[in-house]
Amino acid sequence: MSLTLLEGALLVFVLCCAVGAAMLKDTLAAVIAFAAYSLGISIIWLVLQAPDVGLTEAAVGAGIMTILFILALANTVTPNADRLFEPVRWRTVVFVGAFVVVMAATVPSLPAIGDPTAPVVGGEVTQYYLENAYKETQVKNAVTAVLAAYRGFDTLGEAVVVFSAGVVALSVLRREVFA
Amino acid sequence: MSADEGPGLYVESTIIMTTVRLVAPFVLTFALFIMFHGADTPGGGFQGGVIAGSVVMMLAFAYGIDSTRQWLDVRVVAALASGGVLVFAGIGLGAMALGGQFLQYNEYLPLYSKASKYGIELVELGIGGIVASVAIGLFFLLAAGFGHVTEGSER
Repeated sequence: MSLTLLEGALLVFVLCCAVGAAMLKDTLAAVIAFAAYSLGISIIWLVLQAPDVGLTEAAVGAGIMTILFILALANTVTPNADRLFEPVRWRTVVFVGAFVVVMAATVPSLPAIGDPTAPVVGGEVTQYYLENAYKETQVKNAVTAVLAAYRGFDTLGEAVVVFSAGVVALSVLRREVFA
Repeated sequence: MSADEGPGLYVESTIIMTTVRLVAPFVLTFALFIMFHGADTPGGGFQGGVIAGSVVMMLAFAYGIDSTRQWLDVRVVAALASGGVLVFAGIGLGAMALGGQFLQYNEYLPLYSKASKYGIELVELGIGGIVASVAIGLFFLLAAGFGHVTEGSER
């Protein structure tokens, strides 16, 4: 597996931001590191040719989440950070390190990006969607065709989950109107 | 600007206000583009809805959360959220009423030639409405804080 300079730089950037978000003592700094992490991940999605997911990550992860985090911070009392990083607990490091090793062990068995022999590309379902999506749904973006037509019932469920999240937030905070 | 907006949460700045006034229409247009054009290009209701919701957050950032809260009609936000669910479910049930399966868009073919495409567009708009209004709602709920209840609501 070979990386281009851009991909390598993005991976290093995302890793640094993730470690920063976990390690920084100051909560505001951690939130900003988390936003930068989301931005890096969304560019990685673009590199992996998944623009739909990249757009979602940029809008939700880097945008809305950051605003909501900062609002929550503004409404709470933040203790002054006496140092830059959290103290490291070695037991946690060992656990997280072991998890990373297990996850990394699966990486070599993944197919290369855009490999035409990858199971998901050759799969019957994928080929059906690619061949019939435009004919049957008249939308050119196969992702939207799957989302709104073939898996429309699932998407209705997702939309209702978002709606209920809003309603539940209202009832938990004992308010009657959103604004 | 009421008293419950804590000190330091809002800074009145001509630069931010001018920038937001200039940028907000374009961001809203971009959000609608993502929603409408999600059928043919990357994007869709979820992404477009979040961007549309962020327009209101930009306004709150520039003009203060409480002024934006007063300017915004709560009925519009509520109507967008529940209207989105109703539109989505209505299109699904409408196809059943015409004799097809739930969300079988081509049942609408006798009414309109590109029924499937426009059915999907409508569904995307519904999703956009839900996501935008819930994002706006969560923003204002979080901004109002948790410990106290402001004048507008009662327990």
